[in-house]
This record gives sequence, structure tokens and C-alpha cells, in this order.
Amino acid sequence: MDLLSFARGPALQFAIGVFCFGVTWRLAILLFTPQARDLTPARKGALPSPIAGGREVFRRMWPEIHPTGSNMFTTINGYVFHLGLAVIVFGFAPHIQLIKSIFGTAWPSLPNFVIHIAGGVTIASLIAALVKRLTSPVLRLISTLDDYISWAVTIAPLITGYMLVGRLIQPYNTALAVHILSFVVLLIWLPFGKLMHAFIVFISRARTGAYLNHRGAQL
Amino acid sequence: MTKDRTLGEHMSRRGISRRAFGKYCAYLASTMALSPKMAPAMAQGLAAARRQAVIWLSFQECTGCTESFTRSYSPTLEDLIFDFISLDYHHTLQAASGEAAELAREQSMEENKGKYIVVVDGSVPTKDGGVYSMIAGHTNVDILASTIENAFAVVAVGTCAAFGGLPYAKPNPTGAVAISELVGNKPLINIPGCPPVPEAMTGTIAHILAFGSLPELDDKHRPLAFFGESIHDRCYRRSFYERGLFAKSFDDEGARKGWCLYEVGCKGPIAYNTCATTKWNGGTSFPIQSGHTCFACGSPNFWDQGGFYKSLPSRTSSIGTVAGATAAAGVALGAGAALIAANRKKQYSKET
Amino acid sequence: MTGSATDQTVTKTAAELSDAEVKKAAHKLLSQVGGSIATYAEACVRCGQCAEACHFYHASGDPKHTPAYKLFPIAKAHKRSVSPLGWLGLAPDVSRNDLAHWEELIFDSCTMCGRCTIVCPMAIDISSIVAATRQAFAKVGLGPPDLRAAAENSRDRGSPLGLTEEALEDRIEWLADDNEIDIPLDKDHAEVLLTVSSIEMMKYPQSIVGMAKLMNATGVDWTFSSEGYESTNFGYLSGRGDIAKTMIERIVHAAEKVGAKTVVIPECGHAFGVMRWSAANIVGRPLPFQVLHITEFLAEMKRQGKLKFKSFDGSITYHDPCQVSRRGGATEEARYLLDGFATDFREMTPTGNRNWCCGGGGGVQAMERAAGLRHKVFQIKMDQVEKTGAETLISSCANCRLTMDESAEHFHWDHKRDSLIELLADHLIEQE
Repeated sequence: MDLLSFARGPALQFAIGVFCFGVTWRLAILLFTPQARDLTPARKGALPSPIAGGREVFRRMWPEIHPTGSNMFTTINGYVFHLGLAVIVFGFAPHIQLIKSIFGTAWPSLPNFVIHIAGGVTIASLIAALVKRLTSPVLRLISTLDDYISWAVTIAPLITGYMLVGRLIQPYNTALAVHILSFVVLLIWLPFGKLMHAFIVFISRARTGAYLNHRGAQL
Repeated sequence: MTKDRTLGEHMSRRGISRRAFGKYCAYLASTMALSPKMAPAMAQGLAAARRQAVIWLSFQECTGCTESFTRSYSPTLEDLIFDFISLDYHHTLQAASGEAAELAREQSMEENKGKYIVVVDGSVPTKDGGVYSMIAGHTNVDILASTIENAFAVVAVGTCAAFGGLPYAKPNPTGAVAISELVGNKPLINIPGCPPVPEAMTGTIAHILAFGSLPELDDKHRPLAFFGESIHDRCYRRSFYERGLFAKSFDDEGARKGWCLYEVGCKGPIAYNTCATTKWNGGTSFPIQSGHTCFACGSPNFWDQGGFYKSLPSRTSSIGTVAGATAAAGVALGAGAALIAANRKKQYSKET
Repeated sequence: MTGSATDQTVTKTAAELSDAEVKKAAHKLLSQVGGSIATYAEACVRCGQCAEACHFYHASGDPKHTPAYKLFPIAKAHKRSVSPLGWLGLAPDVSRNDLAHWEELIFDSCTMCGRCTIVCPMAIDISSIVAATRQAFAKVGLGPPDLRAAAENSRDRGSPLGLTEEALEDRIEWLADDNEIDIPLDKDHAEVLLTVSSIEMMKYPQSIVGMAKLMNATGVDWTFSSEGYESTNFGYLSGRGDIAKTMIERIVHAAEKVGAKTVVIPECGHAFGVMRWSAANIVGRPLPFQVLHITEFLAEMKRQGKLKFKSFDGSITYHDPCQVSRRGGATEEARYLLDGFATDFREMTPTGNRNWCCGGGGGVQAMERAAGLRHKVFQIKMDQVEKTGAETLISSCANCRLTMDESAEHFHWDHKRDSLIELLADHLIEQE
């Protein structure tokens, strides 16, 4: 079996297995850990918790910049690489084809030059994030090994993807295999590190949204 | 034809001018990505080349490769190369049969010891002692071993010989293997394709005739001159790919406008072959130009890559079952872990 | 007054803890982990944006004051309990060193003001985490000794500042006589039970007078009760769940005894937070009365036309007590009271739910050893106030007020300070 067949076949299959197991396992823990019912009466006019929670998920997409502007970089850079990743994952024709083959739906792709720009910007943004993490005393203190592993497995598919479209690895089959394998590593790591925030963000925001809404507090 | 005549003499006898021959060599040199300075050397080498003894072994194959070579338009110089070589053994093309045919092979091997080239098309069955393909009472494994023993080089023609091809495809009932598995250290050239482009074959032989050595090969033993670039990178529809303009089916607007066939399953990006530049039938066309996708027929395992009409990035293995089973296991284990932890917490909170 | 004395009353340092006690702390941490805390423990992406939102980090510039860092002990305990690595004994447990390292961060440098939650992209509520973590630390005797003493005083003598039943009766009598005002105590029946913060009673008695004056003016049937008067809950702030419960039960008992439909919390943010948003959960049943902060109650009375004020022409600015505004949902009540009363009201920047904490909430006010840091934090407030150009800084939290007074004294900052209630009481139009 050549590397590409391995990457697209058993490796991807295994990674998806690990991914599905890990994600559901962690979500189940969060959702099945009992939460004591709040016996205090809600403030008059408070929304039902599911609505308040759902609203919070979206409301927090709006940036909150300190008056000092001290979190300006983190906020903007965060948007840049999240949006960049979204553009690449959901806008590049080959990625859409993979999604289509799994979920059965597809949508029009973006021209490649847009993807190339997004890729370059995203890589630069992630490198900036790492530099920030390595130089900020706050981030250095609170960072764990997870942060660096998560960073590496996130940037790896971007770099291998770039090498693939730029033909920096030859032949294409090998480049594609390396790219898929880097994605396989990402899939395998995702449930076990902080990248899991892609899912937890909904629960976390919803819980806090409901909690504060119960008090009538609007953050 | 007498054996000791040179190719130059053969050419002039057939009415090919020196000028035409020079042009051909320049073309060949450029096709093979040799430096233009190499063209005269090539011409010189070719003109002086003696007839080359070739033994053509056919194993688990469909004769498509032979069909491809014999479909060349006559009279072409490629034809002449084929005419010129001494094809001492070839099931389809030789007049002799039975004992006489086998005798011809053995004779050629004896006479051209260390100099003859063995061309193989088809894969070799190895399962159950190789009984699935036998010629004159001998298994393909044995025939190959004995034939290549004193050969100068082995040329595996077609994807079956080069990579196992169709017989090798799942579930591979005959235990077919590629020729590369059986040649040991013998110099090997793979010219894959289903079938291969004739020019890749003639160009390679011309190179051997002219320089007496093997052309530059890639890691899969393919001549870089013909297999160095992907169909995708040389495809005239490439600009549509870059702009995100794709045919969604074979008869839609995009297909009629000649847009990229990536989404209907074109494997051009992983197909290393010369079709997009050399084209077929005397430079007439190639599959993508005729509106069809590329299968990457010259690639290993092209038969088992998930489907000819599934786009390249599509999953190649089933995912639903794996995802469902692992997700169910995840929920069960996670819920279990949470409840066990919750129970323990209850006990902890009673601790004083 | 007696309370259960089953819990450890000796303050310890982490170094003095036995292995069994370290384990006990870890167990107590785990027992605090419900669905929300589990989610928060796993949600942090360590982006560090909370650092600048925290007044402690903002003032000190010390990375250890980053709110996200305060998540570590409980996250460690939680991850160990649910991960397969933990089951195999491979995940590290909360250690003596962890307890030693985080003690100061969990107690001295968090006022549980919830400001970090505003900026958190994951909406992690560090405040809940700190409250839960304090419980575990306190369980084995960790935490500032004075905070612990305040809690135990509350249990044993009715109030953190020694406001015993007798002292309460004396002071009420004295205040009533001195100010010629009715201050009902221990009525058999009343619609409204008013509680106190002992800070007011001991340090700002005019605030009690003001409250009584305003309450009387509304015409509602109200009383203090000597059986449940202290609403500042140092049990909660010190992580002593047992004392928190005792303090709540006293008020619940008193309210039930007089048949009160409403319990009014005085100008004390945390007292309001605990009684309004935690008490029912701590005693384990819904309470038979509503709990209102004094600003909520008075705003309602004003709405009903029962309170009228002369206008106040001096320039003032309002400090939002975190537990009343950001975490209490009553941000607008104080402003409604000021509306049409204070003719020159100036908002700080930032204000309302985004206002900076005074630096003394969450019991930090009571910690002697935290004073230095607290003063540093107060510079943020001084700066905010000065930028408004207002002459007077008011608040509706006695704890904020005490913090501000102490720090102001430290800096010799002679800006005028007042309480919203006292200011309102001074400008009340008394109707016959």
C-alpha cells in the first residue's frame, strides 16, 4: 500500500474513529456531569435559559476590546486565523469535495487565489500567535504543553497544504499524503487538547449566558 | 534485415533523409527533456546503433499495451524503431508458434547474452505456485526468472507490469505482483499506463539505443522525461481549476464550456504521465480533451482509489460505521465517567 | 448564638498540611465540580485576554494575577477524575505545592467581581471557580486568618465585626434616640425584613439611619430582627460553606418568623449576591420571600411614587458594586434613583456592568495582608473618578465604601465620598 492510499484509507478512517470517540466522550462528560438545579427565582423578565444560552453563543462573537486596547492584538489575530481557517476549510474546492463525500452536501468553492491568500495570512497569524505566546509573560505562565501541541497540529495542515499546492513536495501523491496525514494528526489530537473548544465553546457560552440571564445581568 | 545493419542504414534504405532524422532526434531530445546539445549526440548514437534484440513477455495482461503500440500511424519514425529492433519473441506479433516460438526465445537469449532487453507486459501471479498463468508448461515466475537472467535491462510496459494493475486490484485472486518485485537488482524501467503512451515506449528505447544506458528514472523507475509532471500541472483546463470553475456533471453547462473536471472525478493531480503534452493518436487528443476525466491509469492502485467518478479528495473508506460506533462508545464511556465521578463527588462532599 | 463547630478552625499554611489533608482538599475541590465548573475547567484556551480585565493584574502587572491561572487547581482535579490517565493513576493530583502556590491567588487577589467573564471568548465564569476553590482550601484550614476569623466571628458572635445581638439592640436604640427616628426592631410581624451589614452599623451608622428614614417614608411595614440581621456572609467569602449556611438560615428563620414577604439587603454587594442568588441553593429549598437589594427596593418605591427627593446639584459619579451591577442585574436601579435627583450625574468610563471593581470585594477587604495590592488597585478607581471631574463619589455598597475609604486614606486622597442611601435620605422630601 502506498503512502497516499494509507493516508486516505486506514489512516483517515482511524483518525475519524478517534475523533468521534474523543469528541463524544468529552462532550458526554460535560453534559452528564450533574449540575445542581438553581432554586433561586429568576429576575423578572429573564429569558428562558435555552434562549439566553443560545443568544450568548452568538453574542460573544462580537469583540470586546479593553479601553486600553491591550487585547486588541489577541482579539484581531484570533479573528484572523479563525476566519482564515474557515475560508480554507469551507472554501477550497478539494476540501468541499471531501466534505461532500462524507456529508453529501457541497457548495460553490472560492477561486484558488483567495485560498492562497487566506492560507498565507492564516499561517502568518498563527506564527504571530505563537510569538505572542512565547513573549507575553502572562501567556508564558498560563501556557501548557497542550497549547504548543495544539498550535503545531493546527499549523501543520496549513503548511503541508501550502507545500502541496505550491508543488514544494514532489510527487503530488506524496505531498497529498503528507497533507492528509497532517490532518489525520489534527483530527486525532483535537478531542484531547484545547482544540476541543471548537465544541465546548457552545456549552460554555450557553451555560454562562443562562447563568447571567437568570440574574438579569447583561454582559 | 541483417542483424548487423545500423539504424542509420535502415533509415536511409527506407527513404528517411538525414534532415528528417535530425529533426526527429531534436524532437525526441526535447520530449525527453534533454539539453538541445544532446540532439546531435543522440542522432549520432542512434544512427550507429545496431539492431537491438528484444524479448517481449506477456503475462497477466489484455494485449492493450501491444494494441497501443501497433496503433501508431504509419509510416512514423516510431514505427521504424519498432521495425528496427529485433523482436525475437512476442506472442501476438510473432509468426512462429509452439516449440518454434520458445526455441526462438532461447536462441535469442543465447546469442545476445547480456545485451538483450526483456519487455514485459502483464503482472505475474504468484499464488498457489503461480499456476494461474502458465506458458508452455512453465509458470510466469519461472519464465521471467530464466529470461531476465542474462538480460541487459527489463522494461515493464503498462500498469499491470509496472505496478500490478488490474490483476493486482482487490481482492487480487491470483496473488499478482508487479515485475519490480521479481527482478532483483536487474536494471528496470517502468512505463506504466493503461495502456502507456507509445512515444514513452519508443523514446525510452531510442534512448537506450542512442546512449547504451537507461534514461533518468524517478523513484518508481519511470523515465522522468515522460512521467516527471502531472496531468493536472500540464492540463489545458487548469485555469478553470484555479478560478474555481468546475463541471458538476458530464453534460452540464460547465462541461460544455470545457471547465475543469476535478469535481466529476478527474485524477489529473495524482497522474504522472505524458498524455497532456504528447497526447494520443499522433498528437490528436487525450481523455480530458475529449471531455472525460483522467483515471490516473499510470498510477499504482488506480483501480482501487475509491471510484473513477468520485472526486480526488473523496473518502476512500467507509466512515459512517466507524464514526457511529466510536461516537456511541464515546458517549457511553463519557457518560459513565461523568456519573462515576459524580458519585465519588457525593462521597467526597460528605467527608469532614 | 452558637453554630456547628465541626469544621477545622485552625488556620494552617500549606506546608503544615498532612498528606491526608492535601487529599481532602483535592476531594473537596472535586466535590465542587458540577456541569458548569466541569465545562469551564475544560474550556479555557489560554488566550490571556482576561489578564487585562482583572484589576489585580492591571494594577500589579504580575502574570500570576491572570484570572485564567486561578482555574488551574480545580481543572487539575477535574481532569484527573474524568480522564483515563487519571484512572490509571498517571494524571497528577493537586499537590501541597499547588495549594501553597494558589492560596494567595484564590483568596487575596480575586474579588469575584466577574469582570474577566466579560472578555472571555469562552465565557468562563472564573468567579464561580474561585468561590468553589475557596471551599476546598478552607476545608483544610487554608486562607487568610483574618478572613477566617471574620467568618467564625459571624458564626459565634452574630457578625464579623462583633455586632452581637446586644450590640445591635444598643446601637439601634442609640441611633433612634440620637436621630429622633423610629427604627423598629423585632416586631412580631412585618411585610419587610431589613437586614444590615455590620460594616454600616459599626463604621457608617448614618447609613442605617438613612435606610430607616427612607423605609419609614415609604410607609411599608418593616422591621429589623435580632434573630437574623447580618447579611454580609463571610462564611461564603471565606469558603466556609457551613458558616455560609448558618448565616443564611438565621435570616431565613427571622424572615419566616415575622412573616416577611420581602427581605431587603442593605448597601452591601456580596450580601445581596449571596442572599439573592445563592441562599436558596445553599439551604436547599426555595425561599418563601423575595430578596431585594436596597436600591431595587427603593427604586420600586420611587416608581410607585412613594419617595420624592429634592434635587441635588453637586456633581457626582457612581461606583457600581460588582455584585449589584455586573453580577446582580440591578445596574439600572441606582441610576433610576439618581435620575431626576442628581442634576449633575457623571458616569465613569467604563461604567455599569463594565465598571472596575473597588478591589475589596470577595472578602479581600478583610485581609490585612492584601492591603498593599488593594491600594494599588484603588488607583484605577481614583483615576476613573478624577476623569469624570465629579466632586463626590458615591456607591451603594458599604464594603466598597470601606475599601475606598481605607485606600483613600492611604493615598491621602481627599475626594468627597458618600453612600447613595445617605445622599438620598438627606434629600428626602418628607411627606406627612
